[in-house]
Order: sequence, then C-alpha cells, then structure tokens
Amino acid sequence: MANLNIDSIKELTYDAIVIGSGVSGGWAAKELTEKGLRVLMLERGKPLEHVTGYENALKAPWELKYNGKLTTEQIESHPKLARDYPYNEMTEKYWFKDSDSLYREVQRFDWYRPNIVGGKSIMWGRQSYRLSDIDFEANLRDGIAVDWPIRYADLAPWYSYAEKFAGISGEKLGLPQLPDGEFLPPMEMYFLEKEVRKRIEKNFPGRVMTIGRVANLSKAGEAQLGVGRGPCQYRNRCSWGCPFGAYFSTQSSTLPAAANTGRLTLRPDSVVTEITYDDATQRATGVRVRDAVTLEDREYFANIVFICASTISSTALLMHSTSARFPSGLGNDSDQLGRNLMDHHFRTGAAGRWEGGLDRYYYGRRANGIYIPRYRNLNGDQRDYVRGFGFQGGASRGNWQRGVAELSFGEELKNELTEPGEWTMGLGGFGETLPYSDNRMWLDKTTRDKWGIPVVVFDAGLRDNEKKMRVDMANDAAEMLTAAGLKDVATHDKGSALGMAIHEMGTARMGRDPKTSIYNAHNQLHTVPNVFGTDGACMTSTGCVNPSLTFMALTARAADFAVEELKKGNI
Amino acid sequence: MIPRRDAIQRLSLLLGGVLSTQLTAGLLGEVLNTGSSIEVSPAQVKLLADAADTIIPDTDTPGAKAAGVEQFIVRVMRDCYVREEQAKFYDGLAKLDDASRKAHTRGFSDLDAAQRKELMALTAKTDKPFFRQLRELTIAGYFTSEIGATKALAYLPIPGRFEGDIPLTPGQKAWAL
Repeated sequence: MANLNIDSIKELTYDAIVIGSGVSGGWAAKELTEKGLRVLMLERGKPLEHVTGYENALKAPWELKYNGKLTTEQIESHPKLARDYPYNEMTEKYWFKDSDSLYREVQRFDWYRPNIVGGKSIMWGRQSYRLSDIDFEANLRDGIAVDWPIRYADLAPWYSYAEKFAGISGEKLGLPQLPDGEFLPPMEMYFLEKEVRKRIEKNFPGRVMTIGRVANLSKAGEAQLGVGRGPCQYRNRCSWGCPFGAYFSTQSSTLPAAANTGRLTLRPDSVVTEITYDDATQRATGVRVRDAVTLEDREYFANIVFICASTISSTALLMHSTSARFPSGLGNDSDQLGRNLMDHHFRTGAAGRWEGGLDRYYYGRRANGIYIPRYRNLNGDQRDYVRGFGFQGGASRGNWQRGVAELSFGEELKNELTEPGEWTMGLGGFGETLPYSDNRMWLDKTTRDKWGIPVVVFDAGLRDNEKKMRVDMANDAAEMLTAAGLKDVATHDKGSALGMAIHEMGTARMGRDPKTSIYNAHNQLHTVPNVFGTDGACMTSTGCVNPSLTFMALTARAADFAVEELKKGNI
Repeated sequence: MIPRRDAIQRLSLLLGGVLSTQLTAGLLGEVLNTGSSIEVSPAQVKLLADAADTIIPDTDTPGAKAAGVEQFIVRVMRDCYVREEQAKFYDGLAKLDDASRKAHTRGFSDLDAAQRKELMALTAKTDKPFFRQLRELTIAGYFTSEIGATKALAYLPIPGRFEGDIPLTPGQKAWAL
C-alpha cells in the first residue's frame, strides 16, 4: 500500500503547475514546458477547441438566431454581464453565467469572467503596447503607493521576445512614453484618419496619431506559421474566435507551442480551491482542485506554482489559501492582498463629421483603430491631476442609419442608403487609475458559490484624479478633432465603472519591500519563493496603455527566472 | 473590440440619437416590453409587408417584402414597444388601409405601386408619427436582413486583405459591415 501511495503521488506530481490558461497562463505553460519542465495547466472553464470550437466564427450576421442580440432569458440570467457589450449571442458560451459567478458590490464593479480554456485571450481587444520608464518611475516620482521593483530595461528584452512570438502589427514612432517594439507591418489608415493625423500633428506639437498596435498578423512570420497560424483575413470577427489563428490567443499560439513539447497536461473544468503550503519547508506543495462538473476533490503536487487565474481570481485564491503561517492569505504578510484594485477608465471623448472625401473608400474590415499616445503631464505639461491617458478611435463612413431622420421613401430612399454616407471620426480616452489602498476586494466567507468558494466583494471607484482627467479626455478630443477640421464636434462621457475596461489590475502588487508588497521584482511571492504570479494582480500601477502585452513579458521573464532558480536549487 | 452594440451606440450618439430608443433596443435584441402585447393577425402582417415594401420597394434589387421585413417589425414591436405604443402603430396601419378603401374601394394590398406610393405620401403628411415609425423600422429591418445586406449593400464574408484608402468607384454599393 505504501508503494502504491508513493506511485499515485508521483502520478499527481509535476515540475510546475500553472493555474489559468489565459494570456498569462498560456505563456507560463509555453515557457516552462519549452525549458524542459513537465507542466500541469489547470483551467476552471470548459474545453474550447481551436477552430472547431468557434461555432459562430464563420456565420453571417443574419444566420444567427437573434442577429447577435440577447434574449430576455439571457438578460435575466446575466444581469451583470449584460451591462455592456462583451457579452452577446456570439460570445455567450465563452462567459460564466452570472448565477455561477456570484460576487457582491459595495460599489459597482463589472467582472467579466470567461468560462473557457484560453480565458479572455479569446475575446480580448488585442491592442498591444509597452509600458515605459515614465510608467515604471511614476509611483516613486509622485510619492504614490510603492515604487515598481523593475524598470523598462528589465522588461524590454522580454517585450521583444513576446512580440516576436505573438505577432504585433504596428508603426515605430520613437516616443519615450510609448517604446517601439518588434512590429509586423502596420495596418493602413482610412482617408480621414490620414487627414486628421496630419492636422493634429501640425496643430499640436508633441502629439502623435498612429495606427493601433494590435496582435493580429498583418503578415505571418516563421514563429507564427510554425504553430499553424495564418494572416489576418480582415473579417473583424475576432472575439467570436478566429478559425485562421490570425490573432494571438492561447489556442492559436501558446497552447500549440506548449503541447508540441510533449510535456504539457491541460486539465479544464478544474477549479483550484487552495494552494497548499508546508510549514516545514516554507514552500507551496501544490494545489487542491475541485472538478467543476463532478465536484470531486483532488490534489496535485509541484515544485513551482504559477498563479495566472486573472487579477480577481488569483487574489481570491491567495486569500483563500490560509494556513497557520498565513492566516489572511498566502504571502499576505503586508496586508496588501486585495488592495489597490485598478482598471483603466474610459467611455469619454468626442466625435464629429467631415465634409468631403466622398470619393475615398476602403476594402476589408480592419479589426483595429487609431491610437494617440499619452502627451499630458509630459515634457513640461502640467495638469491639475497626475499621470495621463491615450486615445483610441477611428473614422468610418456613414451607413444606412443616417437616413432614418428624413421623410423620403421608395426607390429614391433605397438608392441613397445603398451608397456610403459621409465620413465621421471619434476619439475615446483610456486613462490611468491610481492605486488607492482602500480601493479593494475581499472574500465574504459567509456566502459561497456552487464550488464552495467564498464570493468576492468589491469596494472600489474612481476618485478626484480620475475625474479631473476625464474632463481633459473629453475636451482634448473635441479640441483636436475641431482643429483637424471636423464639423459638429460633440463631447460625451458615458461614465466608467471599474471593471468595464476589463483591464483589472493590482490587488497583489510587486514591490521592493515584503512589508508593503506581495511579489518581488521577479513576480515571486516575497515569502513563498516557489509561487509566482504574473497576471494583472501584480501590477504596481496601470499606466494608460492596454496591459496584456506587459503580462506576456512579465510571465516569460518570471518563467525564465523560476527555471534558473530551480536549476540552482534555490526553490 | 468595438462590436455592434458599441458601434450602434456610438453612431447614435454621434448623429444626435437618430435611432429611437426602442429601435436601438430592437436591433440589440433587448426586450423593453415585459407587459402584454397586441395579437397581430395574418391579415395585418400581410398589410404590414405591403406597407414596408412601399417604403423600400423592389428595384434592381429585392425590396422589404422579399426580405421579410414585416417579421422584423412584428418582433421589435412586440419586444420593445409597450402595449399603448403598439396599439398606436397598428392603428396607424389600419388607417392606411381605411384610407385606401375610401379612395379606391380596395384595401392597400390590392392597390398598384403608383397608388400605394401616393397614399403613403399622403400618410406621411396626415399621420407623421406612424409614417416615421414604419419608415424607421423598415429601413433597419431591411438593411440588417440577408437580402438587404448582400443585394442592396455589399457583403464580404472573408475580405482576405485590407486597403484603407482607395477610390470609391462610381455606383459602388456601401459595405454592409
């Protein structure tokens, strides 16, 4: 019997366990397996096969039962998810039902939780930008929260490494606030975007407009063809799943790379309930898993654990992994776990119409917009708030909706509306949210979900700094569009609750001092050296750029460090 | 990621909220009316199809009736308009038929194209709210249907390439998406 037990423990033992299979988890699995480790990747969601699993991907809009709309039942079963656009008929099966994703709000928080292998890498917005030293030094410079334990130079080679594999299309600009990367050819701008770019750059020295840097293959290189990916077909159906593997996702990119090593075991439907800890060795020993379907419990063992369950779930898991040594959550000596919850704030900007250019058009559907990098509080500019924002946006030509207000009908109406309408252009800001120690999440141990996990409670909101910034986000957009020659420019602010941008970050920040932070400069728990966390939870501040590329770079860097430490016998 | 919902909201905003709240909800598949609805008879559906076809007729491409726009209107009316609004709309439709019987001793569906057009132009003056509603629903239902999107407009399932700034050839149809 003793021997049998040893054998079965061996069977349940891996070199490393990766919790989560999204952007960060996929990268952790790829890097660790490619470096020779036997890896178990655990995903709480359902299996989702690459290509064949994307059931709606090739459907025309009218082939869908509700033309992409939600039914009363869907709205009733998803009162929180239905608050905004990411949840719709085409992506419904990718998300958790609200009834399976219980959480409480002291202040509104929109928590979008994927229920699939690949996580949000399937539905993500794919905008991919580097942070700069202006971001890494910001907390230190402003005396806010704690200093990042790393600088741009630490991450730059890993950004390059991630970009070369993921495939990022974009244009080099040479800006200090938005470092250039290893880019595939940039996508083209529309006629009006080219016009507006010229005029903004002429009228506002220091401001630049570029095409979005996006994880879609404008051209497939060897690294991408090697894992079976093809170039972008310009269908703009990315979030339904891409049968061409043309954008970066776990399924298209990191999963095949990890699987090709023969060292990956992927286990979907696996809810990690706890990271197990051994007082004697002061190391994590592995994880306890509850099968999402059968509710059966199992335990797995490993030398290294990578927590990549996405910001909220990763922190909830640490909070739920208690022991005599860590009564308030694994690695939480600093009481920082759950604090400094952040997200970008957005949904404010301006739009206007353009007279002319009616003889210019386009071919294909570009799943990308334009980007105006941050310019506020830089180069001597000083506002009544700190940090800054970037703009995303784009131009388009009017469609049939423009005709609705008129009174004509019949052949004349039909003919008019089958022609493209006039050009319009809009800009929307994405702003940095500061880390506030009392913007936080915690566990309500009196309420549990169907897997027996305590539910998360959110109490976080925007403050003065963000509110002041939003005034500039609207006014600057209007000012630039007006100066660029657009007419009838109007501002808007549709309000932004935390979580809506799905860029949730913080709650287990990196830092130099174990007394004030959770992870060190290598995304390693200060106090449990064989546990690493490389998703958004580790972020010490948010910057104003879309964060996924940073998670990729941090993960690859941490995996490299972890394997080196393992070889040295340090963990 | 700017899917349809956001695109529609953005556009409505940009153009000063051109689409009515109810129609925007209808296009998004939302159900605003949780109360009871008016029963619509097959005769009313047929009349609605002919009225919609007068707003967007067959030309070198099929019109609203061929595209089944009446089904779209019935659904959006049921799901997104409260009972009183539905009553007003179907009352407007009945008046169109009454006007036809008075002027031509025949129902609207039995008129020829020129007579329908004339009567619709009259309705645009005498019952503007009904006309506007019918027109708005017909336009939205038609251009989001398969016929509207592929025949009246141009639809590319797999463009395969992107060119951002090219000349518009005379007579070129707008892209459906």
